[in-house]
Amino acid sequence: MPALIETRDVSKRYGSFNALSGVTLAIAADEFVSIVGHNGAGKTTLVNVLTGLLRPTSGTVTFKGMDVAGVGPVRLARLGMARAFQLVHIFPGLTVRQTLAVAVVSQTGKAFHFLTSLARDAQVQERVEAVARLFGFEQLDLEARSLSQGAKKLLDVASAFALRPEVILLDEPTSGVSTGDKHQIMRVLVDAAKSFGVKAIIQIEHDMDLVSEYSDRVIALHQGQVLADRPPAAFFGDAELVATVVGKRRVRD
Amino acid sequence: MTSFLDILLGGVFHAAVLFLVAAGLQLVFGVQKIINLACGSFYALGAYTGISAVTWALAHGLPRGLFLFALIGAGLGLAVIGPPVEALLRTVYRRDEAFQLLLTFALVLIIEDILRMIWGANPQELGNLYMDYGTVGKGALTVPTYNLLVIAAALLVAIGLGLFLKRTRFGRLLRATAEDRETSATLGIEVGRVYTVVFTLGTVLGTLGGALVVPTAAASLDMSVDLVVEAFAVVVIGGLGSIRGAVVGALTVGLMRAFAVSFVPEMEMLSIYLVVIAVLIFRPAGLFGKAAA
Amino acid sequence: MKLAAVVGLAALAALAAAPLVLEPYPLTLLLQFFAYGLALLGLNLLFGYTGLLSFGQALFVALGAYSAAVCTRKLGWHSFELVLGVAVVTAVVVAVPVGLLCVRYVSIFFGMLTLAFGMLFHSFLFKFYTVTGGDGGMLVERPSLLGMRFSEMDKTTFLTRPFYWYALGLLAVGTVVMWRLVHSPFGVHLSAIRENPRKAEYLGVEVRRLRLIAFVIAGVYAAVGGTLLGIRTGLADPELAYWTHSGNLIFMTVLGGFSSFAGPLVGAAVFIFLQDSLMSVTQYWRLVMGMVLVVIVVLFPRGLVGLAQALRARVIGWRRDARAD
Repeated sequence: MPALIETRDVSKRYGSFNALSGVTLAIAADEFVSIVGHNGAGKTTLVNVLTGLLRPTSGTVTFKGMDVAGVGPVRLARLGMARAFQLVHIFPGLTVRQTLAVAVVSQTGKAFHFLTSLARDAQVQERVEAVARLFGFEQLDLEARSLSQGAKKLLDVASAFALRPEVILLDEPTSGVSTGDKHQIMRVLVDAAKSFGVKAIIQIEHDMDLVSEYSDRVIALHQGQVLADRPPAAFFGDAELVATVVGKRRVRD
Repeated sequence: MTSFLDILLGGVFHAAVLFLVAAGLQLVFGVQKIINLACGSFYALGAYTGISAVTWALAHGLPRGLFLFALIGAGLGLAVIGPPVEALLRTVYRRDEAFQLLLTFALVLIIEDILRMIWGANPQELGNLYMDYGTVGKGALTVPTYNLLVIAAALLVAIGLGLFLKRTRFGRLLRATAEDRETSATLGIEVGRVYTVVFTLGTVLGTLGGALVVPTAAASLDMSVDLVVEAFAVVVIGGLGSIRGAVVGALTVGLMRAFAVSFVPEMEMLSIYLVVIAVLIFRPAGLFGKAAA
Repeated sequence: MKLAAVVGLAALAALAAAPLVLEPYPLTLLLQFFAYGLALLGLNLLFGYTGLLSFGQALFVALGAYSAAVCTRKLGWHSFELVLGVAVVTAVVVAVPVGLLCVRYVSIFFGMLTLAFGMLFHSFLFKFYTVTGGDGGMLVERPSLLGMRFSEMDKTTFLTRPFYWYALGLLAVGTVVMWRLVHSPFGVHLSAIRENPRKAEYLGVEVRRLRLIAFVIAGVYAAVGGTLLGIRTGLADPELAYWTHSGNLIFMTVLGGFSSFAGPLVGAAVFIFLQDSLMSVTQYWRLVMGMVLVVIVVLFPRGLVGLAQALRARVIGWRRDARAD
């Protein structure tokens, strides 16, 4: 399967500090990849490089064969990559409907439609409602700022999905959410990906239960380098590896 | 044909007065992040009060040669308006910047009419009183002593402010509060009191500037709105929040105006705006500023 | 939406009938309202919807007035349609480069840059008197409307009948266009920029380009308003470009309520009539206006429309409680 995202020997140096060194990986369609590692291992730096926010000091990053080093967020969205951050970003004064509409308007290329009515645009409203349904939003006309913290997070992720990206990168999509909800969110993510034709999901995740249950590939970073790149079973089977990466021995039931 | 040195000194004198007002702006912005559109109004208030103070003092027996003290007294005395105005501004600290700007704009309107109420719409002046101090130099190169005194005063203030901010305990408190309001509060710094003091200090610098300028220029209602633009040019060029920047910015604006007026009068203010726009585009933080675009 | 249409049509009808009922003086005040209403609709697209506070909007108002002056007085072009065309084109030609420079920055810096450009224009108008008439301004001559000169009418009749209805028509068209703009896909992208520009980028919103477009549209609306002002007073005056005029524009917008569509229109009307009433009562009207602004900023930041909405919500709450008992 041809790679969607590829990095070749990527390094990111800040002065004498190596945030990333020699990272070479390829992510193809139908992969759900979890990037793990403890704080400072380089996970966020890697995602920033993958999404073109940071230029690597050396090495290349390509998306569908195109060099994406330093590409801005707007071009990123147009190329087919969407991203949600760990810190929840919402449009406080916009409703759920409007938030999702922003993404759909971008994706349908209607940003310069000046005089048509958004509310009466069937194409946009259908897509907005489809995304909302999947993510469990029933009241679309509530202002984003009035939602619970968990709902805000979900909306943030939902708006990324509403872009119908080919690849979606999520930074700790379940952080700050109760355990019961975590699994629900993961299931929604997988369903959404299937419904919207998202070809690959890449997430940074700390919760190892979720990693083992939902992802089909684990990339473990340690001190800026890829320590392991293997399926969950193989990853978790290696207790030493898990301890190094996660920082403590994982207790299995 | 006025000599080069005349123009130069005229520019430096204007810069001295501008510096005082701009320093006040910088202090207030640096600590409270408020841009005070009413700085020109305080300046005008100082000017009018200065004239009244001198006229009253002279009529009550103050020797002519001591008029400068009446002016300084007027400038400093207006410190009383600092705390109440600050208390009003406090109601919008946590809100959008637009509201802060609008509140200070409201002050511009209010103060202008207060000036009109008390002193009327006609410009006021002190005549040639300042020439009592004589002139320095000879021939083509003569400068009124008064002007040199004002320049010296501004220099003293500049140095004094610098020392105050760097060396004294309160100065350090000020800089700490400017850096991080929340942390300072948790460290026990009474942020409210700091704000009141800073704003009052900023106000006094403005009123003092106005008081010191009146002997050489008339006090008029237009002063308040005309000065705002110049003061802004100074802080943009020098960098928001920097006292050193206020010195450099004031000199730039003062000298540019002086030379423009003598050689290309149409370009007088235009040249300054062009410099402001250029600075905002190429170096938005100004020459010494910390604020990022 | 239906309610808005009904209210709008009712207001339009009332305003259209006004010349048959009111004296000339209040009609000229209404003309001022039409002009400022247009300028504020534009300003609020930039401020209320896109989140950019421009302290130089008066530049474009002045541009409109001076376009009218140059066309009618210097070039002898008296067709009002042509004057409007020139004003719009000039506004676009100025707004694009100025906007390109300004939209790279936000909040204070955007405000300061726009203020600087506004004062730059004021300085140009004031100092280059051979071109612009200096502080005396430039005269604006009566234009022809849709080809008709109305030369048999005196100035007052012209202003309070044909020109009045033409201006009202412009305001009506401008309002409808602005309504569609803010409720369009373009509009929701603008709102996204206001709420969270960074997130907007990640959702594919072209922040800078859209800000520029909003800036240009605001400039065009202000210029059209400016031409109306110029013809009403017969003079294009450099003070139109002074920073305090920009300040007043913002004052009006916030007075009415910048987070609503009708706010700016309400603000313009209330400001104009309030200022006029005060001027006839006291010479210290600035003081009162300043205090009104203080009250709005401190107590009613959502303006008069916001206040009305809050009261309405309160009343609905009371009624619901009363019904429950």
